[in-house]
Amino acid sequence: MRRAARTSRACVAMTVAGLLPGCLSLSYDRMSVGEPVADATLQALRPGRDSLADCLGALGAPECVYEQRAGGIALLWFWKETAGWGLELSSPSDEVPGRLTLELEGAELPGCMLWFGPGLVLERWRQGTIGDLLRDRVRPTLVDQ
Amino acid sequence: MPRFALLLLCLLFTACMFGRQDTNDPLDAVTIRGLVPGTTTAREVVERLGAPSDVVQLGRRTAYRYDATTTKSTFLALIVVNFGNQDTRSDRLWLFFDERDVLTHYGASLGTHRTQYALPWENVHEDPDNEARDALRPGVQGK
Repeated sequence: MRRAARTSRACVAMTVAGLLPGCLSLSYDRMSVGEPVADATLQALRPGRDSLADCLGALGAPECVYEQRAGGIALLWFWKETAGWGLELSSPSDEVPGRLTLELEGAELPGCMLWFGPGLVLERWRQGTIGDLLRDRVRPTLVDQ
Repeated sequence: MPRFALLLLCLLFTACMFGRQDTNDPLDAVTIRGLVPGTTTAREVVERLGAPSDVVQLGRRTAYRYDATTTKSTFLALIVVNFGNQDTRSDRLWLFFDERDVLTHYGASLGTHRTQYALPWENVHEDPDNEARDALRPGVQGK
């Protein structure tokens, strides 16, 4: 008798647990895009001395290449690492419509940018978020300008 | 009780999902090593590697971009609590040409083979993992 009651309780618990994801779910997600550039690699760069070839050899291929004023160029590397919990609540009933999603991921898009002069020698570099790094980007110009 | 455990086990088996998405073919590291700055022309590059995915005008210079991307996704659904992980790596090659279309510089990052199926608490950037995968890809050594 006691065993039957236990089995019954287990079945009810499993049924409830099986139905619960329809209205509540908790998730832990991680997203990784690309590979971070090591801080030590950036610190080893020597503005005014390192050439484009030196920097490409140390950091590999950038994500983006931009034209800069006066014949210079800028190279951008970025990557993405996010991880965190998310909670989703939704109502299965038409009478109580609603859906709530809470994302607790720390969204960071860090990157680094290197600026080269017309002689393709490194002028400066900077770390930061992509938005900050691209602030003074210029549009491509006509070749004869 | 064994039946209950079996049922639970069956539920867990249905809760694992794996996904993979590839964009473009991985770049050929051996072909890339054959490029010679100061000698190889843009025409020869296109003959060997095909059409670039992007061309950027840099004043009188130009830069060609070649790329490929692999994404591996893992998802574990444990009824109410779910765990997901997505790892995306790419092969990238930027080639810089002068105004005569002769290659002056190039930079390559080859990472598609390092992409991993993993759970979110695993570190997918560990050096031993990367080195083991690098050893299996022709033309890739070290970093």
